[in-house]
Amino acid sequence: MSQHDQEFERRARDLYLRASRDVDPAIAGRLRAARRTALAKPQTSAAHRLLLPTGAFAVLALAALMAWRPGVAPSAPPAVTQMADTDPNDLPPDADSADPALYKDLQFYSWLAYADTPTSSRK
Amino acid sequence: MEHEDANTDAAESTVNAALALAGTSLEDVREVPANMDAFLAGIERRAWRMAEIHLGNREDALDAVQDAMLRLVRHYGDKPNGEWTPLFWGILRRRIVDLQRRRKVRSIVVGWLGGGKDDDGDELPSWEPADDAPDPSARLQDSQAYADIVAALRNLPTRQREAFILRIMEGLDVAETAAAMGCSDGSVKTHLSRAMHALRGQLEAWR
Repeated sequence: MSQHDQEFERRARDLYLRASRDVDPAIAGRLRAARRTALAKPQTSAAHRLLLPTGAFAVLALAALMAWRPGVAPSAPPAVTQMADTDPNDLPPDADSADPALYKDLQFYSWLAYADTPTSSRK
Repeated sequence: MEHEDANTDAAESTVNAALALAGTSLEDVREVPANMDAFLAGIERRAWRMAEIHLGNREDALDAVQDAMLRLVRHYGDKPNGEWTPLFWGILRRRIVDLQRRRKVRSIVVGWLGGGKDDDGDELPSWEPADDAPDPSARLQDSQAYADIVAALRNLPTRQREAFILRIMEGLDVAETAAAMGCSDGSVKTHLSRAMHALRGQLEAWR
């Protein structure tokens, strides 16, 4: 490296360091405030680190409570009971074994079924 | 709290004393303090100067430095203090690049929304208000020389400017500069060599 280059580098560095030293007081004050804010932040983020698993645990606990309700029968069996109460004759005919003519007058059978229903159940 | 303030003030006075020495040596500013407060106190003004050179705006430079401090403390505060210097400059460099990109996008959007002119064809105020605060470098004995080198640095491509500031002005070694720039040692040398060549041409009067 030439003498000129070394001198150039030294001068550039000196100017930069002096300019950094001579930063105006307003900027210096704001930089100081920014540093204090930065150094104060970790306490907040540590609190956040603790809050996150706590929140997750609370959500899981709530979900577990909602899923497990002692004394209340599960919701699936009533459907089964209802199915069991249904008269097998009310089931729609099996398409493979039913008479194909049945399907020609579906509208009639539908009307018939409606007409057979007691009046009270129609209300 | 009082104790913390006393520590901060002590750190600052150490830094100021180091910088105030005639012909401040690079070793004075390269010493890495053991605690984060002192480290940031020692580097914040140079960081702001560096950001200002890159961004050309005092407020943006402040934002960049503040963000870099926050990220260093939050994500790397537990690293050994010997690693803080390249980490800090690396974070600041990325923040500066982010701000430059954002500014570019804003200027494109302004262009789409009417090219920065109002209905009468008059120029609208710039998105980046003119930085009309008194330039602190005017107080420097050789403010013109500093203004010259800042202008010359702003004419360089970004990577060359980064290499010159970190390696020559900030005095990082090649490996630290490479870590801060996120490139290889060889790339640092190439960028620096090109920067030196360009600056020699631009600052012929310095010879």
